[in-house]
Amino acid sequence: MAAIQLDGLVKQFGDVRALDGVDLSVHEGEVFGFLGPNGAGKSTTIDVLLDFVRPTSGTATVLGMDAQAESTAIRARTGVLPEGYHLYDRLTGRQHVEFVSESKGLDVDPVAALERVGVADAVDRRAGGYSTGMKQRLMLGMALLGDPDVLILDEPSSGLDPAGVRDVRAVVRREADRGTTVFFSSHILSQVEAVCDRVGILREGRVVAVDTVEGLREAVGTDATLRVTVDGEEPHLDAGVTAVRGVEGVTSVTRDGSTVVAHVEDRGKIEVLHAIEDAGLAIRDFETRAASLEELFLAYAEGDR
Amino acid sequence: MSWRAVARKDFRDARRSRALWGLSVLFVALSVLVAVAFATVDLIGGPDPSPTGLVTMLAGAVGTFVSLAAVITCYRSLAGERESGSVKILLALPHSRGEALLGKLLGRTAVLAIPVLGGLLIGVVVGSALLGAVAALPTVALLVVTLVFTLAYVSIVVGLSATTGTATRAATLAVAFFVVVELFWDVFVLALVYAASGFAVPTGGLPDWTFLLNQVPPTSSFVTTMSLFVPGSDAAAGAGGAAPFYLTPWVGVFVLAVWIVLPALLGYARFSAADL
Repeated sequence: MAAIQLDGLVKQFGDVRALDGVDLSVHEGEVFGFLGPNGAGKSTTIDVLLDFVRPTSGTATVLGMDAQAESTAIRARTGVLPEGYHLYDRLTGRQHVEFVSESKGLDVDPVAALERVGVADAVDRRAGGYSTGMKQRLMLGMALLGDPDVLILDEPSSGLDPAGVRDVRAVVRREADRGTTVFFSSHILSQVEAVCDRVGILREGRVVAVDTVEGLREAVGTDATLRVTVDGEEPHLDAGVTAVRGVEGVTSVTRDGSTVVAHVEDRGKIEVLHAIEDAGLAIRDFETRAASLEELFLAYAEGDR
Repeated sequence: MSWRAVARKDFRDARRSRALWGLSVLFVALSVLVAVAFATVDLIGGPDPSPTGLVTMLAGAVGTFVSLAAVITCYRSLAGERESGSVKILLALPHSRGEALLGKLLGRTAVLAIPVLGGLLIGVVVGSALLGAVAALPTVALLVVTLVFTLAYVSIVVGLSATTGTATRAATLAVAFFVVVELFWDVFVLALVYAASGFAVPTGGLPDWTFLLNQVPPTSSFVTTMSLFVPGSDAAAGAGGAAPFYLTPWVGVFVLAVWIVLPALLGYARFSAADL
């Protein structure tokens, strides 16, 4: 059974078609990165999952239950960090945790719950006085209460400093290890890349790609970049560039002084190094960089594919 | 029982409102002032003030206070949560929208009823101490009917708040209700009488149906309901021994019940269908 299943989801807000036939299947226990530029429909999709918004047509199920007819049963088993939420300014961190645990029929220790997300020392302060990062941590702590089967995180890193971003990633990993399905939306790709089993890319209300990060990389065919710094004189340098250009899998070669930069498929990297040596150059140093998801994402999001 | 969690949260949240504390202090002061004035000033309480008269006097302070306090403390109850985004916390939890609305209704009623009933009780105690006598039954009736009236007003304002997603619009609706149904209702009824009499000043008394129409404002139905329990307070206009139901003070009870149920249902219908 899919943890989240969307079929032909359409949502029309007046003249705006926010979702234009979204089909998506998220497996149980996987960490799924839901990517897309702002305004692509990520939050609207999540709003449908939580029954904040009713679809114009199409269906959505979570844990096999209909997102509209069985919404409260879904939400009983789901932890949510929504986008654009606002805490109750006059209530303390402790009272927020108590509200969630009472609503879900849990028995939790507020201090321990907030220790998990690093805001235990503010447990008796009013949330209205929290910093943006603390609010986000409190909200994340509330989402984790009761060990939900599905965790929905809408832009969880917004408002967090680098330490906070790292903590979110650690939380996602820990939850994934427990078998929780994590549905994680973001427009900041490096965060998704590091933790997700699969990613889906949404553009203008449609899912344009769903795959593993590796699979997407292959599909896009964006190559690794290999930078080789060599010792050698002309004409050996030019000969080296020509030799590298002849290696199978190399798409482009440029030279910047004594550095040769080649875009090459993974399997061709060693061949490039051999070709440079065969051209009579000594390799002083080299570095290789995989195509980032950022580049992949831009390739999809900008509609090149 | 999901509404309980919402009610408790809302109670904790709303009771920290400064406006509520200000209103509460004001009401307790007003209540004591009324009680002391009634018991000691001949011009107000008469030469021989009775404890029953004290209850009637205090009841007179309830209507305006509760209606205004309900508008102030409840207009944001749902519209404000939708506007700020805290509704996304509330409804990401396993509460149906109906339970959320019910929880709001009961939570806010508790928040408002505590200072109101407390103020009335203090007024009764102070007044009765000065008079040296207590009217037990009318006092109990005053507290119970005031609680029902508070629930009705909270239902009106929370119900209106549930129909919209912005606090400004919710405030406009609540104030408009107060102005039309409380302030200008009499004028409206008189205009109807004038029209029904062929656009002339009617001769003789007002027709029977005006009694019924006059019960529509919640504060009027509160006073009429009180007259059931505190004889001589504000006897119903057309009430005679064999009067039909709609001319007896029981109409007040009926109208209060309608004000509890109808706005809540209207609010629910709009809120449950809304995209948040």
